[in-house]
Amino acid sequence: MKQLIQNAAGDFLSALLTLNGVSKHFGHIEALSRVDLTLNRGDIVGLVGGNGAGKTTLLRLMCGLYQPTDGTVVYHGENGDRPLVEMRNHLGVVPEGTGLYHRLTAWENIRYHTRLHGIEDEVAWKKTLQLADALSFTGELGRPTRGFSRGMRQKTAIIRALAHSPDILLLDEPTGGLDVTSAREVRSLVGQVRDSGGTVIYSTHHLAEAQQVCDRIIIIHNGEVRADGSPDELMRYTEEKNLEDAYVSLTADAARIFDDVDTEGKIAKIWRKLLTPRRLPSNMSSPEEVNEDE
Amino acid sequence: MSKLKGRMFRVRAVATKELIDFVRDWRTLIAVILIPLIIFPLLFIALPFLLESQAEERSEFELRIVVQSESEDTDFMAYLDGDNANITWEELPAGIANLSDPGPDYSRVREHGVNAILRLEEGVEDNSTIWNYSILRDSTDEMANEATKRIVTALNTWEEQLIEATLDENDLNPNTTLNPIRWGGDIDASDVATAGEQAGFALSLFIPLIVATWTATSAMQPSIDMTAGERERGTMEALLCAPINRFELLLGKWIAVALISATGVLAQVCALFFAISFIASNSDTFGVPELSLSAILLMFMAILLFAIMVVAFQLALAVRSRSTKEAGSTLGPMIIAILFPAMFAQFINLEGVEGYWFLIPVVNVLLALREILTNTIIFEHIILWAGSSLIYALLAAYYASRQFNREDLVDSIN
Repeated sequence: MKQLIQNAAGDFLSALLTLNGVSKHFGHIEALSRVDLTLNRGDIVGLVGGNGAGKTTLLRLMCGLYQPTDGTVVYHGENGDRPLVEMRNHLGVVPEGTGLYHRLTAWENIRYHTRLHGIEDEVAWKKTLQLADALSFTGELGRPTRGFSRGMRQKTAIIRALAHSPDILLLDEPTGGLDVTSAREVRSLVGQVRDSGGTVIYSTHHLAEAQQVCDRIIIIHNGEVRADGSPDELMRYTEEKNLEDAYVSLTADAARIFDDVDTEGKIAKIWRKLLTPRRLPSNMSSPEEVNEDE
Repeated sequence: MSKLKGRMFRVRAVATKELIDFVRDWRTLIAVILIPLIIFPLLFIALPFLLESQAEERSEFELRIVVQSESEDTDFMAYLDGDNANITWEELPAGIANLSDPGPDYSRVREHGVNAILRLEEGVEDNSTIWNYSILRDSTDEMANEATKRIVTALNTWEEQLIEATLDENDLNPNTTLNPIRWGGDIDASDVATAGEQAGFALSLFIPLIVATWTATSAMQPSIDMTAGERERGTMEALLCAPINRFELLLGKWIAVALISATGVLAQVCALFFAISFIASNSDTFGVPELSLSAILLMFMAILLFAIMVVAFQLALAVRSRSTKEAGSTLGPMIIAILFPAMFAQFINLEGVEGYWFLIPVVNVLLALREILTNTIIFEHIILWAGSSLIYALLAAYYASRQFNREDLVDSIN
């Protein structure tokens, strides 16, 4: 890993989360390998990487949903180092799939989470209205989320993540499916969270968006942190003129194929192997032949 | 907010959300609440009405009955009810091996040209006249069955008359000859069990079975929806990022499933008692079960412990699955695992029952309910079933809490 920057504000007091030599294994697969990171308060950090790079694993380690196989994840609370689980009181999450209950209204989805944070409904409602107003979403709060477009679901999930005023906001592809105006509103909200002293971790595939929103970008590839720095620093280091070229240069080696079925049970694996055909039907071309034809 | 109050607040939030979510799904609501509510009134009230009306309808069928004998003027013809029936006489066909051989009548009976043919043949045995008979019919045809029923009724009446006539000829009193041993007085008055106790005994043969199977089946769908369903829809990840620990989450979901299941079982038992009360109001011999307060409390305790075990176990198994389909495949056979011991428990003699039966899961609660419904309260048995049920419930809850701590809970097939 190439640690490109020495964060100017990186004194210990401003650090929020530290990952020391964190690795994560699933069976024989090493999803993340010896990650050392420090996330500081007030940062907007972009996690950029391809499919299967290890972004989701890293996010889940940061939330405490996964325990590291090696290394430690330390949350630096107001009163010193605290167990990671305590961070959840100050954490807002927008997962990639939004995670909404389709039989509940947008407000009921939000209220469920604010209640889990111990917030009174009246207080949560006021905050929700404020956030919905910023996202031009007030009229939709009473509707069941079943018929929502991807953009509407995304907005609901963002309001839900912010309704308890978290210090740390974790966003997985937050503008996916949003129109230009809505995406701009979301980016504006993200900026407000940072301005009020919050930390945003922004996982995305879109380098342009990462460049526009994030102060710092962490590039993950094949379970390793390949680069960590501001967009300018990444381009300077790779001697490329734009971030996309810098990214390609840093992730030039082939992406690994993550074998998800490795997580299945032993009996299921034996059964699947017995019933999965080992060859393609004879009248079909092999992938190599298709490539040759092209 | 104190720590305990905070925990209670979060558990209540989970349970409330799950109940709202459940109530909004009208299909599950019908399956778990409405169907148990109507199944017994339909079975005990509507079905007898239906059977009665169908029997009445059958009695009005226009039947075609043929009587075959050597002579047209047999006494039997006088006993056959001619209402709604076209009765004709024919000579016995020639060339049949015996009376039951359809012979030349095969096709017209099979094609329903006639609904039934009675064949009668006079004979002599020990110097007395006897009659051999057979009824040719298609047993899969409703009209043929009705015709057969009327013929048999007529044959029975004719037989009684023949017996009485023979006894008269020999100066014998038919009543004393045929009924030398009789019940003295009112048969119902001799039973010291009250109508309520008799009803309790009868119900003890199937109420426990219903409670056991319905607790398991009604808890299955919500258990799957609240665990594997959450994983499949990808809602689990956001939920697990909230400041709620896994045990609180399990407890909230358990309360919701247990309430749904309890409502289903309660609805079914209430509907059953309503149906029984309806039958009892029209019967002199059948009453409503009489249960003491302690018996009712023990019954609730037995059901509660059973529900804790079943619901916790179902939640634990379902949460291991990454999709509702996987969970359904896992929990489906579990219903059989409950149903079979529950059925066996119905056949165990309660009189002198060995103590170890009260230690076997499922069987213990079924036997307990049977005893309670017959107002039999044996302290040793209560200790055994309550103690073993509590241990099983705690073990199931412990297993469920371990499953809820699995790291792969955030993974979904999507």
